[in-house]
Amino acid sequence: MESVIIVRYCEIHLKGNNRGYFERIFAENMEKALKGIKHVIRKQSGRYVIEEFDEDNGGQILNKLKNVFGVHTLSIAKKVRSSVDEIFGAVITVAPLSGTFKVETHRADKTFPLNSMQLNAEIGGKLLGHNKNLRVDVHCPQTVVGIDIRENGTALVFGNLIGGVGGMPVGTAGKGMLLISGGIDSPVAGYMMAKRGMKLDCVHFHSYPYTNMQAREKVEELAKVLGEYSCGTKLNIVKVTHIQEEIHKKCNGDFMVTLLRRFMMRIAEKLAIGCGAQCIITGESLGQVASQTIEGMTSSGSVVEKLPVLRPLCGFDKNEIIERSRAMGAFDISIRPYEDCCTVFLPKHPVIRPKINDVLAEEAKLDVEGLISEALSSLEIMKI
Amino acid sequence: MIYLDNAATTKPDEVCLEIAAQYLKQKFYNPSALYAEGYALHKELVKTRSDILNTVANDRDFNIIFTSCGTEADNQALFCGAKRGNIVTTFGEHSAVYAAANELKERGIEVRFAPLNSDGSVNVQCLLSLIDERTSLVSVIHVNNETGAVNDVNAIAHAVKAINIRALFHSDGVQAFGKIHFRIDADIDMYSISAHKIGGLKGTGALILRKNVHIKPLIYGGGQENGMRSGTENVFGIKMLEYAAIKRYSCLENNLNHVKELNSLLRQKLDEKLFSVISEDSASPYILCVAAKGVRGEIILHEVNDKGLIIGTGSACSSNEKKRYSRVILACGIDEESADGILRISFSPETTAEEIQSAADILNETVKFRKEIME
Repeated sequence: MESVIIVRYCEIHLKGNNRGYFERIFAENMEKALKGIKHVIRKQSGRYVIEEFDEDNGGQILNKLKNVFGVHTLSIAKKVRSSVDEIFGAVITVAPLSGTFKVETHRADKTFPLNSMQLNAEIGGKLLGHNKNLRVDVHCPQTVVGIDIRENGTALVFGNLIGGVGGMPVGTAGKGMLLISGGIDSPVAGYMMAKRGMKLDCVHFHSYPYTNMQAREKVEELAKVLGEYSCGTKLNIVKVTHIQEEIHKKCNGDFMVTLLRRFMMRIAEKLAIGCGAQCIITGESLGQVASQTIEGMTSSGSVVEKLPVLRPLCGFDKNEIIERSRAMGAFDISIRPYEDCCTVFLPKHPVIRPKINDVLAEEAKLDVEGLISEALSSLEIMKI
Repeated sequence: MIYLDNAATTKPDEVCLEIAAQYLKQKFYNPSALYAEGYALHKELVKTRSDILNTVANDRDFNIIFTSCGTEADNQALFCGAKRGNIVTTFGEHSAVYAAANELKERGIEVRFAPLNSDGSVNVQCLLSLIDERTSLVSVIHVNNETGAVNDVNAIAHAVKAINIRALFHSDGVQAFGKIHFRIDADIDMYSISAHKIGGLKGTGALILRKNVHIKPLIYGGGQENGMRSGTENVFGIKMLEYAAIKRYSCLENNLNHVKELNSLLRQKLDEKLFSVISEDSASPYILCVAAKGVRGEIILHEVNDKGLIIGTGSACSSNEKKRYSRVILACGIDEESADGILRISFSPETTAEEIQSAADILNETVKFRKEIME
């Protein structure tokens, strides 16, 4: 009795003529996730089946596929010939030892002698006879035993479904450049966009020697976590120490974060265009900190000339972001207490609602292009 | 590279490494084994114990329990020496004692912390006032690992015993062993040491334990170290500790004079407009604690590192205010601005005056430059 894994996808089935494109990328992403593990992915109508893997690797495959965007649900199933006896033999292996259950049959092969209701009743009755600790509950069962009668003379038998991360296959919705800081929000922002199918490159700004190597290592680890969902990523690392020093020296210190954000956005746009990204993504959430007011976002967004700036967390509360951060496995890394560049030279009273004329007046004191070129000369790129 | 973080660890002594190779390649046997090669090692270790003990105590009154590090020795002293009632220690302890004491508090033992003087030494009067008939253990660090302040642990132990003769007295001697003149007197019951602070290797420490003091082991197993610390003996590490200790004690006075000169030279050469010296003249000369005014210690650490100088710091680039400043430095009553700029410069007998001159130049230049930018 061979074990297989059934993969059901999310919105792809709503697609029309371009459905094949989404399915192809979805399958490629699953292949990437399972790299190094023996398996074969077979397409069936409306889903995929993973076959020919070593039984010991079943759990590992499930864990990897759970995090592939586009996966709706997964099941470990037994593949048997389409006969009532063989199907029942498989049902025994996936059925619970006690509690309530129901049997749900789906017949792709309409030539099977029993219809779905009849097979449900036949297998359900046999199971009750086999295990006295089981009861049937067709409305709210603890376990649903699924039977899929396929057209090729085989049947798949499975227990409860395992939820996937949902979303759309990464690579079907363009590419974005994520500003990643080392905090809680930005990895979640990247996750949200990857969930809708966007490929990601990341840019991190550091202020060595004001920030340390551990802070950078933390960002590398966060990018790695994000890369597990976004089919890998590239991390661009840019040193902005001199920009901060120049702002500190020449400008009103209360504008430090506002001005720095504008530099970051300009650098991010240049990098984005250079790598073919079509938007900039930030982890800003409206009103969360002084620089994340609508005026602050207007100020930082206004320097991005050619690309849209997406802020997928804008309407989220901090708690909601933390919940997502935990779920994606980034939270424990994000809370390591290393300072990031935004807290260096932090003014006691940062400008909360910067007026664009004031910002421009402060910025006029700086050699903006020169500082950007200098920062970009420090660029390091890591493939994650 | 100029290495001035010798209080964190020292470069292993070359001869020590040769000894280690000999015990790793040829004399690799288990000293608890019954065959001749194992027994020969056991006999060697008997002599080694005496040799190490005799550097600071005597083998008539004390045993030595080899451990994996100074932290383990401190943990054994606290977890196995503390009984119901209370224990008394100081705010100036190394984390090996401080965290263990806080864990004892979690386990229901009352822990009393004595305050510090401004140089990092314990306020002895306050310490003694915390001791009563229910005190089972007192632990006082010998040389403070951040400021170098020296506590007169023999005198403190004597005063403790005058109040409660049954209280055990422990001292963390990791920054003192092999560095300053000291012999364990009649009132100290336990004393922790470590090999890698004096040219030995990481992975070897010891708890010196008075013979008539009965505490339980921290680690159970095959009964090595007379049942006080199970686990196959780390023979090469112990032999390195022996060599390093004997070498350090054989030229203690010369080393001390040399390091005093280096310490004094650096004090002179550091620009007093940029640095304030935290360590008192009475501190161990092996450690010089200074505060760069207005510049965070870790920023200086990175920048001087890029210029070829390695030093330690008492403050970190942490977003967590509680973790940014050194607990010990704040306990000395030093304000947060100075605490932010704390640097720990620590010497070894191998450090040269030329290195100190260069180090002073690098530090002055770096702090001056950074201060100008940050102001």
